[in-house]
Amino acid sequence: MAINLHSFLENYFEAHHCDILSNQNGVLKVQLNEKMDRALMNRPFYWHYIKKMGRDGDPMQLTLISNQDSLEERGERIHFGSPRLQQILNHLKENERFTRLFQVIQANQNTALQPWLVVNIKISYIGKHKKDEVFSIGLNLINGIMKTEMMESLSDKEFGMKISDFCYTITPIIKPISGYKRILSVLDQYIQDLDHEWAKESLQELENEMNLLKHFYEGAYDEELEQMEKELRDLKERYQPKIQIKVVNGGIFYIRGN
Amino acid sequence: MKNIEIVQDTNFIETLEEKLDLDGPFSSWELFKMAYEAELTTITSEFHGLRALEFLPHMNFLPHQIETAKQAIEEMNGRAILADEVGLGKTIEAGLILKEYMIRGLVKKILILVPASLVNQWVKELNEKFYIPAATFRKNYPWDSYDIIVTSIDTAKRSPHREAILDLHYDLILIDEAHKIKNHKTKNFEFVRALKKKYCLLLTATPVQNQLIEIFNLVSILKPGHLGNYESFLEKYGKDRKKINQDAFLKQLVQKVMVRNTRKDTSLDNSKRHIETVWVDFSPEEYKVYKELDKTFQPFSTFSKITFLRELCSSREACFLSLQKFVNDENNHGREVLQPIIDQIGQLPHHAKAQKVVELLKNIGDEKVIIFTEYRASQLYLQWYLQQHGITSVPFRGGFKRGKKDWMKQLFKDKAQVLIATEAGGEGINLQFCNYMINYDLPWNPMRLEQRIGRIHRYGQENDVHIYNFAIRNTLEEHIMSLLYEKIALFEKVIGHLDDILAELNIKSFEGEVKAIMNESSSTGELKIKLDNLASIIQSTQNSWQEESQYGN
Repeated sequence: MAINLHSFLENYFEAHHCDILSNQNGVLKVQLNEKMDRALMNRPFYWHYIKKMGRDGDPMQLTLISNQDSLEERGERIHFGSPRLQQILNHLKENERFTRLFQVIQANQNTALQPWLVVNIKISYIGKHKKDEVFSIGLNLINGIMKTEMMESLSDKEFGMKISDFCYTITPIIKPISGYKRILSVLDQYIQDLDHEWAKESLQELENEMNLLKHFYEGAYDEELEQMEKELRDLKERYQPKIQIKVVNGGIFYIRGN
Repeated sequence: MKNIEIVQDTNFIETLEEKLDLDGPFSSWELFKMAYEAELTTITSEFHGLRALEFLPHMNFLPHQIETAKQAIEEMNGRAILADEVGLGKTIEAGLILKEYMIRGLVKKILILVPASLVNQWVKELNEKFYIPAATFRKNYPWDSYDIIVTSIDTAKRSPHREAILDLHYDLILIDEAHKIKNHKTKNFEFVRALKKKYCLLLTATPVQNQLIEIFNLVSILKPGHLGNYESFLEKYGKDRKKINQDAFLKQLVQKVMVRNTRKDTSLDNSKRHIETVWVDFSPEEYKVYKELDKTFQPFSTFSKITFLRELCSSREACFLSLQKFVNDENNHGREVLQPIIDQIGQLPHHAKAQKVVELLKNIGDEKVIIFTEYRASQLYLQWYLQQHGITSVPFRGGFKRGKKDWMKQLFKDKAQVLIATEAGGEGINLQFCNYMINYDLPWNPMRLEQRIGRIHRYGQENDVHIYNFAIRNTLEEHIMSLLYEKIALFEKVIGHLDDILAELNIKSFEGEVKAIMNESSSTGELKIKLDNLASIIQSTQNSWQEESQYGN
């Protein structure tokens, strides 16, 4: 797993403004707030009735044990693949899709921030089997420069929701939608240039099995033919190669240019 | 390239522009970064391999289970017959395949058809072992509201369910005990074939029972035409069941859609089982009480009498408590007859088996030993009795919470010599570091005995395992021992095909069968003859099985 689970969880709850009650030896105890209780604890009826009675409600506490050697008994064991972690990851993926951020700068003179469109994109290659690839691409909306591994290059910078003192933003020359189209066309070229052996294999398999199927139904009529059509559709669904392009998340970043 | 369909993300940029116009809401830098990391951790960057293993660190998969899952996905492209011998974990293999497809995002809607009696077990195993949120079908919820549903084929094929299900498009269909759909003239077969499905798993320990056409029918569900069409197949292979071995070509074809592991070729055979029967004699006082209880049949049914006798063979405490409970229940009669027996039990010296346990433990020396008993009362008694002899022990029950189970296991590993367990607890406790087991009393269901042994005799066990089975002479334990564990030679052959044999003989529950025999026999002689008969029927079926079941390997 690419992340350190324990600090990941800590950051997650802090970013959602939950109090960390205790945190040692891989056991994290958190006081949820209402928003996070609603998001994670799956008790819509409680919140429905408590609000109907005009009360605030008591968000629950959550103890997560990420240290697999811990003998702590009270709490939920959490590890890669556990339902709780999947829930948290999904919660992130669903809710943190759009942003607009300003680089945080301790400036004492006027500083310009340039707008970038940053898009994180997942490409899935689906045939007999499936694999994914993630690209993080940034496009400068002033001069059209494009960078890959954008998230990695931003990772050591600080960003806030509001612009820092003495900073001002430059108005984009390229519209985000045009920038997005440029990014897509670059990806399209990338895909065109790939060797799609996987797709060939998948089409080959599709053809083989279609031939078998037709042989099987030789001389068939009526209902049997219908059955054959159904099975042909099933086959295509299973083998027809597809490439799926999906944006993980993205937004506008105002970054000091140098 | 021109044959590849490309699906673009059209709505992202529009939504972003809307949000820019409305000035938010936007994600903070922290959360935005985390969402990106979340995606990076969950993508699958290779076409091959099993990502599911990372997701299930608590599971100890056997090598053949992992291999089977890979084969079914990578070589058979998700349509396969899983035909392992009983006890090698077909359910585990299937769960692993499901999980892998779900992680890769290839499967969302799943229909699982199993015998009605196994529905709950499947739901439980998928949820607990694989974190797959499977549910059982409930009335008033439409079929399309479930993503992963477990139900029986009998429910599914009945109107109006049938129509609703056939309307849906499933990503994966799983059918357990698939030999029940091997006949192409049945409604079951027709129903399964009509399902809209992408992937399909058929689970059966017996893909061919009578005729080769059965395997043809199963394969036709997965890959129609793979074995030719019906007429040509019938003409070539007729109704014979043995030709599959002679026809290398057919065998090869079948192996492309079927995986079959046998005990022989899994690594479970590396360490050996040494099994010893330990005969124990009751003390004269104990025999006296046993016989008296045996003679008493008026106040209760033979059924509960058998239970009391079994308990007496286990410990005074177990029998005492349930007799006490029986007479205290005002609906029961017979206090006058039973009270003297209860009093006598109270006077008995230490149980002969408990004394034997201490003797055996001293002989074994410093090794770790796990003791299984059927009764809580015996468990408590044994713990106390061992302590009196300076032997440290910890208890273990299926009902313990997860944390407590781990704790007890740790205590056993680090501190105590003996673990006394009442139930295998199904999962969560693997004790490969221990290689001695005492079966203080024997379960009447051989599957459960196999589960017990499986706690220590499993993948990762490097030493031979020693198993001691206790039985008291001249009691019903002797009958059970000689029937189950000597005549049928269950230990040596492992349970193997018992399931199928019982199915073939139309015996629903082995335990039930034995109890019925005990119930209906009026004398020990009659009992013995009946049990002998049962043993020889099973034995002969087993023999013919072994000769004929070597197909597809």
